[in-house]
Amino acid sequence: MSAQDQISAAARATARDATFARPKFVLIAAGWLVLASLPFWAGAYNIATIRDVLLFGLFALSLDFLWGRTGILSFGHAAFFGLGAYGMAIVTIKLGLDPASASLLGLLGGTGLAMLAALVVGYFLIFSGVRGTYLTIVTLALTVIAQHIAIGWSEVTGGDSGLIGVPPLTFELFGWRYALSDPSQFYWFVLLLASIILLVLWRVLSGRYGHILTAIEDNELRARTIGHHTDRHLLTVFVVSAGIAGLAGAIYATGTGFVAPDMIGLMLSTEVIMWVAVGGRGTLVGPFIGAFVVWWLQQKISSIDTKLWPMFIGLFFIAMVFLFPNGVMSLGERGRQLRARLWRRA
Amino acid sequence: MEQGVTLILNSLTLISILVLVSLGLAIIFGLMNVINLAHGEFVTIGAYTLALTQAMGGNYWVALVMAPLIGAMFGLLIEKGMIRYLYEKPTSIILATWGLGMVLQQGLQLVFGAAPQRVSSPISGAVDILGASYPAYRLMLIGFSILIILACYALLRFTRFGLDIRAVIQDRSMASALGIDTERVNARAFALGAALAAIAGVLIAPLTVVIAQMGINYLARSFFVVIVGGIGGVGGVVAGSTLVGGLEGFMNYHLPVTVSQALVLVAAIVIVRFRPRGLVPA
Repeated sequence: MSAQDQISAAARATARDATFARPKFVLIAAGWLVLASLPFWAGAYNIATIRDVLLFGLFALSLDFLWGRTGILSFGHAAFFGLGAYGMAIVTIKLGLDPASASLLGLLGGTGLAMLAALVVGYFLIFSGVRGTYLTIVTLALTVIAQHIAIGWSEVTGGDSGLIGVPPLTFELFGWRYALSDPSQFYWFVLLLASIILLVLWRVLSGRYGHILTAIEDNELRARTIGHHTDRHLLTVFVVSAGIAGLAGAIYATGTGFVAPDMIGLMLSTEVIMWVAVGGRGTLVGPFIGAFVVWWLQQKISSIDTKLWPMFIGLFFIAMVFLFPNGVMSLGERGRQLRARLWRRA
Repeated sequence: MEQGVTLILNSLTLISILVLVSLGLAIIFGLMNVINLAHGEFVTIGAYTLALTQAMGGNYWVALVMAPLIGAMFGLLIEKGMIRYLYEKPTSIILATWGLGMVLQQGLQLVFGAAPQRVSSPISGAVDILGASYPAYRLMLIGFSILIILACYALLRFTRFGLDIRAVIQDRSMASALGIDTERVNARAFALGAALAAIAGVLIAPLTVVIAQMGINYLARSFFVVIVGGIGGVGGVVAGSTLVGGLEGFMNYHLPVTVSQALVLVAAIVIVRFRPRGLVPA
């Protein structure tokens, strides 16, 4: 180990200690504990709702991984979420397998389908140098088409009404079968899964790989010149992101018990962008917070009139671009800066 | 033979519409490297202009003249009020115009209601072409679109405004250095694109269901056109529209609509792999 490596290792260790001592980290840990204890004090309905919001948060995390770390905005991420959900539903309902193998196959099939779609689309686009807005509009087209197929191909997808009767997740290990039909256990499973994925992504991105991605976002040509296979990195991130979205979709379908075309469509693609934007792009924890805040807002606004919600989203997007381009959370940061400046002047 | 003629004419109808909708999108993309996701709403605005004009007892041709004016006005308003401030941030433009599109859709729905609007075509009846009987209105639509496309080509090729647009597409800073007011070119091109989309809206209104969300279908397709055809010129848009519209027209004949749309998307993506700058790069 060279001297420089030692220095940087020491610096990293201090940085890590600082991370765990920061108030933000304490807040997140407290929030997690509240979430983990939820089944002890909340009703079954609320548990199921928060579970769905957590899955939406996981879905938002997958977009944040892509958008926040590579700058590629996918406008069709619901296509991957929906592929996961539909994959799960089709495998468990249409194939007539035994529940345990159907669940596993559904998870693999749904996630795999999403990753395969991302791999094909991503390979053709990313390797031909398609970037930025171009990539965004192709993903937008992808979700439009996916929704068309979900509505039109009714023999397989159930058309407008979707498919009903997705069984709860069932696992089988050495002849011991376990169905996650109890709401609390299913909830904990989702929370655990989301936390693990969040931690793994955070760990990976705070290391060398995160720096490579940041370098690509900053200046892809330069990153390529130093010798990074930028195409391959971007494709990997795209596919992994689609896989996480598909996984969230597949599990979501087992929770609700049905799939419908709005799980794959444009509206959901739009909403997930909003969750990430509200929570803060590139923060990884933010998307979960964003999903909670926006979901709560949606309940409030839709209870006045359901038609107001799309209008609100539209206005939000316009306001975001002009007022808080770095996410709603950045407003707090700006407020702090402003206060600090006033304080100094006084 | 008759079926063949009908098939070709159906494809031509779709192609003409696609060219009209995509032309504005392609020029704007070529000029400013931005994607206007509210572009589909210009089509909707055109169709609603027709519905409103006819509801007030006006005639189709009045709407056909009014729609591009209203569309251009909206386009100018959006460019001046929003897009102008965001040129350096393409992703922000995508988000902002998408939001704007949603607001416009909801606004139209609030004012006019969710039910489809009533529109009627100005001419009815059918014409015999090579043994096939084809609706006269669709023939008029094709002819009219060809005229507009030719006019656009002439505008870009032979006028001062067209020269400015082509210069800015080639090299913005050099054009600016030579004294071209690039901001004005932007604004005018934006208005032109909106006007073309609004005309397309009037033309297709009698053939489809006029609702506030109708724009999105044309938006997605015109993206394929722009991606496949290449940005910035009439040639690319015509090539892209012919490919996308022709492919969809032919496949619709044999396959379910959803399958053919999915195949068109696949074709578009594969073509981009081999011709990243489109079939006819500007």
